[in-house]
Amino acid sequence: MATATPLPDTIQDILGIGGFAGELLSMLLGAALVGTIMLTMTAFAGPWAKRKITAAFTDRISVNRIGPMGLGTIIVDAVRLLSKELIIPEGADRPAYDIAPVVLAGSALLAFAVIPMGNGIHLADPETGLVFVFAIASIASLGLLMGGYASNNKYSLLGGLRAVAQNIAYEIPLVVTAASVVLFTGSLQMSEIVAAQTVELVTIAGIRIPAWFAFVNPFAFVLFMIANLAEVGRNPFDTPEAPTEIVGGYQTEYSSVYFVLFYLGEFVHIFLGGAIIATLFLGGPAGPFLPGFVWFTIKIWAVFLFTQWCRSAVPRVRIDQIIEIGWKGLLVLSFANLLLTAVILGVLGL
Amino acid sequence: MNPWIAIGMLALVGILIPASMMVVSSLLRPTVPEQGKRATYESGEVPTGDARVQFNIQYYMVALLFLVFDIETVLIFPWTVIYQDAVQSAGLTRALLPMLVFIGVLVVGLAWAWRKGVVQWVRTPRHGGKPHEQ
Repeated sequence: MATATPLPDTIQDILGIGGFAGELLSMLLGAALVGTIMLTMTAFAGPWAKRKITAAFTDRISVNRIGPMGLGTIIVDAVRLLSKELIIPEGADRPAYDIAPVVLAGSALLAFAVIPMGNGIHLADPETGLVFVFAIASIASLGLLMGGYASNNKYSLLGGLRAVAQNIAYEIPLVVTAASVVLFTGSLQMSEIVAAQTVELVTIAGIRIPAWFAFVNPFAFVLFMIANLAEVGRNPFDTPEAPTEIVGGYQTEYSSVYFVLFYLGEFVHIFLGGAIIATLFLGGPAGPFLPGFVWFTIKIWAVFLFTQWCRSAVPRVRIDQIIEIGWKGLLVLSFANLLLTAVILGVLGL
Repeated sequence: MNPWIAIGMLALVGILIPASMMVVSSLLRPTVPEQGKRATYESGEVPTGDARVQFNIQYYMVALLFLVFDIETVLIFPWTVIYQDAVQSAGLTRALLPMLVFIGVLVVGLAWAWRKGVVQWVRTPRHGGKPHEQ
């Protein structure tokens, strides 16, 4: 069971262009649409929503001067950051220093190619979609290491190496927990994973509860949420950029547009984590009354809100605890979850 | 139509967006060259030495362990895809037991590394483990 039509086909039908060139053009337009959607969400999240949410948690007033509810801050901040002087530190490793922000921002955007966003916004649906998402998502830590090493700053180097330590500690629990979901679906294709969650789980008082994997296997959902916090580097796992320990971590020496790209890459990465959680555990774009895309947006913003909540409420763990929590806690639990799911599924013969 | 072409297109867009932002910024931003401000930040002090020094990154063994487990996850995914079909066609034992043995071997490996004190950041008695013998 596949989705209706992939996005490039829809665009091709609307424009009425045929041939190979038409296909390529419609694919490019589809890719541009997906990129624009994510940039728009990031523009709301970075300069505005993050400040508003943090202010609400700490009982302060945030941006409120420009535009209604301070929304004009988004434009003002974009102009301000882009027109700042770019200061390149002495002894910076030039190609790597320039490429690192592009790697971080570009890789986070690329992973959205296989995410079904509802209303037919689904750029590509390869059979190995889930593996593709995890493969692309972990490129981000390469960008962080490149930036940290190339800056010729000791804090940056520490931050980059911490990002790698964190990634190797939480990548495996994340992927193994996702594998326990694949046990149910029997497919790595994103559309199949979403389709497997549309069946009815149980009906309580006339309300039909769908078999979202967050309801079917809540233990896996909790594990995945925790591992995802570490994967996107947010509290309690924000050691790579811990301001009280290593200044700004990997982004200490980055200014102007390069800093914007680092910031943008991080936020797109947080949304990517939310999109993976929505697709694997929350039924993708499914939901009552509202269109699919609205539900998809609500779900990934809910995950974003959760990361911001953790950022305001949970203290940071020490760097030596990162490895131990990952390898002695989450790794063991994720394998236990995988094997238990396999045994229960096999015995029940679902 | 090959989905990987569409993914390649998004890769192109993913490079074009940062590149265009860099171009726009280079048109807008001022350039005031001055040697002092290019110094790397070291909490306001004059930076000492180069940042590219050799030091113990503390998780070398963990990184080696990571490679083993990362390859393992690649081998687990095909099994999870066919698992339910395999249970029906070949029975529970034949579908589950080989994977139990496979993961069991790796868990024994992890337990060994754990006892050796590899799976931790700082190897000092303060953190509960025995000092590791090199």
